[in-house]
Amino acid sequence: MPDDGAPLTDSAGGTRDLGDVGVRELSELRDLLFGAERRQIDELRRRLDTAEITPDELAEKLPQAIVQRAARDRQLALALAPTVESAIKESVRRDPREFATAIFPVLGPAIRKAIAATMSGLVNTINRAIEHSFSSQGIRWRVESWRTGVPFAQIVMRHALVYRVEQVLLVHAETGLLLAHVPDGSLGDADLVSGMLTAIGDFVNDSFEPKKTGELRAFAAGDLTVMVEPGPRANIAAVVRGTPPDSLPAKLQTTLETIHLQWCDPLTAFNGDAAAFTTTRPLLEDCVETVLATDTRAKAAGLRRFAWVIPVLLLLAGGIAWRSARANRKWSAALARLDTEPGIAVIRSERSGGKWRITGMRDPLAVNPSLLMASRGIDTNDVVARWEPYVSTEPALLLARARHVLTPPGGITLSLRSDTLVASGRAPAFWIVRADALAPALAGVGAVDLSHVTPGLPASMEPIASDIESLRALFPAGSDALDQAALNTIATVAAKLRELVKAADANRYELRMQIVGRADPTGAETDNLALSRQRATAVRDRLVSLGIHASRLTVDAIGSGDPVPADAPAERARLNRSASFAIRAQPSLNANVAERQR
Amino acid sequence: MIQKKVCMVGVFATGKTSLVQRFIHSLFSTKYHSTVGVKIDRKQVQVGTEQVNLLLWDIEGRTPEQEIPESYLKGAHAVLYVADGTRRETVDQLFSLRGHVHSAAGDVPSIVALNKHDLKDQWIVTPADTAKLITGGFHALTTSAKSGEGVEDAFRWLATATLTAPPTPTVQPPVRHGN
Repeated sequence: MPDDGAPLTDSAGGTRDLGDVGVRELSELRDLLFGAERRQIDELRRRLDTAEITPDELAEKLPQAIVQRAARDRQLALALAPTVESAIKESVRRDPREFATAIFPVLGPAIRKAIAATMSGLVNTINRAIEHSFSSQGIRWRVESWRTGVPFAQIVMRHALVYRVEQVLLVHAETGLLLAHVPDGSLGDADLVSGMLTAIGDFVNDSFEPKKTGELRAFAAGDLTVMVEPGPRANIAAVVRGTPPDSLPAKLQTTLETIHLQWCDPLTAFNGDAAAFTTTRPLLEDCVETVLATDTRAKAAGLRRFAWVIPVLLLLAGGIAWRSARANRKWSAALARLDTEPGIAVIRSERSGGKWRITGMRDPLAVNPSLLMASRGIDTNDVVARWEPYVSTEPALLLARARHVLTPPGGITLSLRSDTLVASGRAPAFWIVRADALAPALAGVGAVDLSHVTPGLPASMEPIASDIESLRALFPAGSDALDQAALNTIATVAAKLRELVKAADANRYELRMQIVGRADPTGAETDNLALSRQRATAVRDRLVSLGIHASRLTVDAIGSGDPVPADAPAERARLNRSASFAIRAQPSLNANVAERQR
Repeated sequence: MIQKKVCMVGVFATGKTSLVQRFIHSLFSTKYHSTVGVKIDRKQVQVGTEQVNLLLWDIEGRTPEQEIPESYLKGAHAVLYVADGTRRETVDQLFSLRGHVHSAAGDVPSIVALNKHDLKDQWIVTPADTAKLITGGFHALTTSAKSGEGVEDAFRWLATATLTAPPTPTVQPPVRHGN
């Protein structure tokens, strides 16, 4: 080893003084040879000394560490829970809207799911009960149809529409601008309506403390309801005709949540260009629907066996109400009928002490009020009536009184022309004299006109004519059909008429028979007039088929205008559903001419 | 089609509604002003090849003490201020009105319509007043509900400004000075 040479290392624990330069050179050499290793050793030493992790290292390892730890046990979750809770609290405290916006798309479905699970049983029961209680709707509609005279099909149509979602608008929440709208072209000014809806919503919010009352969700105008479901960035509005179902808000809300989720970016960046939202239209169109009552169908069986209770209770309650209403209706109808009856004036009527009390005035010739009420289905034991007698000058009563006093023979018809009593037809001479004397004395009769009365027939004709005129062919209500009794009557008339024709020929009389059709007062007078003509015509046709020459027969229809009198309304109605006969006979001009020529 | 929300504001009786009545499509009656406080109309403007649908929120004119509801202003893309050129106070009040609008809608493009320019003999807005508005950051033009002067210009300017905003529009409005 040379004495002047620098030692290569001091590893031998050199004690020799090498000087400053030597130390530096040695250090450099050491770095050159062992630098990398030394740095590694230093790093290891530092890690051993500090036992801490740098943020860089943590960032590198954290995700993996979390995954590994979470897989091992719940410690990580337990450790993080308080911090996460505090963070959420802090976030909500600072700005609740941010948080609400973030969780809005998931919140609704979560709540609905929970509620739906709890309530589904109850809802099913209620639904089914309602369905069953509606099972009688067909009958009710038929009753309504029968009662109102509206065809059944129309009643069904009127009741069948439950609701129709006519339009759906998607509205930008902040600006009120229209994002999308279905159906296309249904609302020309949808953009204005959309703005105004937003303005009205704002107006309500500003006016009525929405924090307490909630926002404007629906408003109605007549048959139309506008339902608005608000969201953080967009609102959805539906225009509904009819009664919107409870499920509609949830449906709109679901659609709105889907739109918030899928169109999140366009909604956030919206600056007036709604082009991005045309793709929401299929979703909105799903909300447009028409539901008819006939669409409702039972979906599942379950507690159905109890469902009958509700309709039974409804029927019972309805029955009681209906009975009471029917009694009132019947009474009102009978009273109205009574008031229109000639010679009866109702002054007061009331219900007290479980009885109907009625006071008024009655002409002795007017119909018996008790009979009339009984014919209208009123129990007359429940009626306490007090009638003051008076003389009525109503035309019907006046005629009745004239008939009562003058007892006109069958061939005479009495009528009134203002206050003049007009008699027409054929009567024995003594009757004409008597009527001329008595009639002016009747109350309400100013004068009597007997110019249309022809003196009676020759003795060989008169009894036969009277016989014919006392006969009447009767008809069922509302019909011109001839039953066996009517056919028999007509056969009798035909036989007697042939006999009368012979007698008339012998006396050189011209003979015609008038057939007078009548109807009872039920129904419209125009219908009654037509029906009475059909009845008279039916009788005429029958007589012709029995060999009576048509030229002898004339047909006259008077509807219910000049009724055949009778005490009981039912009897009077029966007698007036008829065709009667009047003989018109006068000395034959031709015969006279022939006689003169002879 | 692009839609933009334009709020029309101004103090009481500056003639806002009559200013635009002839130029817009209106669905609702003016009684909405007194009930809801706002009426919404539509004005279509052609800007280049673009058809712009301006939804015009005609907000009820308030007295200086009453403030315009912020909810009506929020989300506005542009604002049309209307002042009465025959009443100086309506011009002066524009500055406080703008402060309110800014806090509700932000610094959106806006233009001032100095209205009733047809009433030349009562006109009291001087070029100095107009200069004050312009130096105060307003764009202004004179308008007349009677002659229709300036109205289409105001809408076209606003529509163009909303398409180019933000930032602040580079389009300069035609500034006309009153007599």
